[in-house]
Amino acid sequence: MIQAFNLHKSYGGVAPALMDVSFTIQDGEFVFLTGQSGAGKTTLFKILFGWESVDRGQVIVDRINVGKLNESNLYTLRRKIGVVFQDYKLLPKKTVFENVAFAQQIIGADRKTIRFKTWDALKNVGLTTKKDSYPPQLSGGEQQRVAIARALVNDPQLILADEPTGNLDPEVSLEILELFEKMNQQGKTVIMATHSLEMLRARDHRLLILNRGRMVQS
Amino acid sequence: MISFVLNALRTTVHNIKANKQVFLMSVATITIAFTIQGLFFLVFVNLNTLLSTWDKQVQLIVYLDDGISKGQKNVLEEIFKSNEKVDSISYDSRDEAWTEFKNTFSGKSGFVTDLGFNPLPASYNLKFKDDPERLVNIRQLADLLKEQKGVESLEYGEKWISRFENFMVFLRVFILAVGGILSVGLILIISNTIKLSIYSRRDEFDLMLLLGATHRFIKAPLLLEGLVQGVIGVGLALGIVKLTHIYMKFNFQGSLESIFRGVDFQFLTQPLLWAMVLASIFIGWVGSFLSITQYLHSTDRE
Repeated sequence: MIQAFNLHKSYGGVAPALMDVSFTIQDGEFVFLTGQSGAGKTTLFKILFGWESVDRGQVIVDRINVGKLNESNLYTLRRKIGVVFQDYKLLPKKTVFENVAFAQQIIGADRKTIRFKTWDALKNVGLTTKKDSYPPQLSGGEQQRVAIARALVNDPQLILADEPTGNLDPEVSLEILELFEKMNQQGKTVIMATHSLEMLRARDHRLLILNRGRMVQS
Repeated sequence: MISFVLNALRTTVHNIKANKQVFLMSVATITIAFTIQGLFFLVFVNLNTLLSTWDKQVQLIVYLDDGISKGQKNVLEEIFKSNEKVDSISYDSRDEAWTEFKNTFSGKSGFVTDLGFNPLPASYNLKFKDDPERLVNIRQLADLLKEQKGVESLEYGEKWISRFENFMVFLRVFILAVGGILSVGLILIISNTIKLSIYSRRDEFDLMLLLGATHRFIKAPLLLEGLVQGVIGVGLALGIVKLTHIYMKFNFQGSLESIFRGVDFQFLTQPLLWAMVLASIFIGWVGSFLSITQYLHSTDRE
């Protein structure tokens, strides 16, 4: 469960990035987070996975008070979350398999587990045939599926997807959305940031709307 | 734990391969700095050997007044015998000294044989036991003998030994100062090398943090990279110093022996070798540590 109470974040500009944002998301929910560019979606995500701090307010993710974690303990939070970005953030000199396995290496899994889980994650996103390819050799949709496999491989309970279809055409975007829905059906909580109206209209998921840093619908 | 170590080693090798040029520049800098330091040490070790060889050859010669009484001689001999540091005592009478002098110099100058009187004083020649404090022992006894009646003068080459000792103190301070300055320079260079390595792969490190890497997981390979730079650098430097030592020994050992009997060109002592290796490892570690800490601070939440 995620609980946010009166989050306030300012980068020193005229308007704060987030103002008084509160919401609750139950385990196993699928939630769209939407709003115009600059509404504060990415800032909110960064706060959720501990990349940014809040000026005021509290956020609790899976019983962890994020603000109370010190820098060297943040990994305990981040290992519970799978993050997917619009620009994929894949390592170009590693193969598809190595990119996904990287997340397993980081948590100190042994070789056998790494092989098994990486293969399983690639199977889930339908990319086993591309395991030896390098990211630049893949299409945008394929790269995003690698990023999703990487987010999945450590079996997190929460998936944060920040505009995962922002660089993809509508057809591929729908495929990606279906992948997230599949994860959600497997019991994972998914928060997907998007400002694609097609996507929002296509599904009847709960909607959180940010407007200029304020939560106007939760 | 094993997978952590293996991963750190693999990542270190990967980092080095990815930043080969910067890595080699850094190793070259460490090599040059430690070669300079090593050559200074080599000079120091050999001068020190020379000093201790001379120390061993130093004897205390007590020249006596021509009119010294038997009683005064007995007092002096008592002082010599009661001093535990004295190894042997020999006495040269005026006549013996003069005979030896004439034997040595008669062939070289007619002046010696033509001289109608004996100008040389009688003397005691004291040898001292082997002791690191030998020179101090000689000085102490010399100070005591100075005050005794019947002693004309004392001779043990005090002035030049003191000067040489002072020079060695200066050299020690100089080497330490040069070592200190070089170390600071090296720390900055290694720190910058690792920083370049981090910034060229910043996306990867950021991703590692996002995926839940511990600080230890990120630090280990970079610290190892600094250590490897240090070890390779100092290894090459010691190789160069050893080659210099072999060259010197091969070409100048004969000349050295003809000037200073029994003196051999020495290589760096074990403690110095270890000190250099440990200093290099330490410098590599500190250099890396500084840049990693700086990077991790830059990722702190704002």
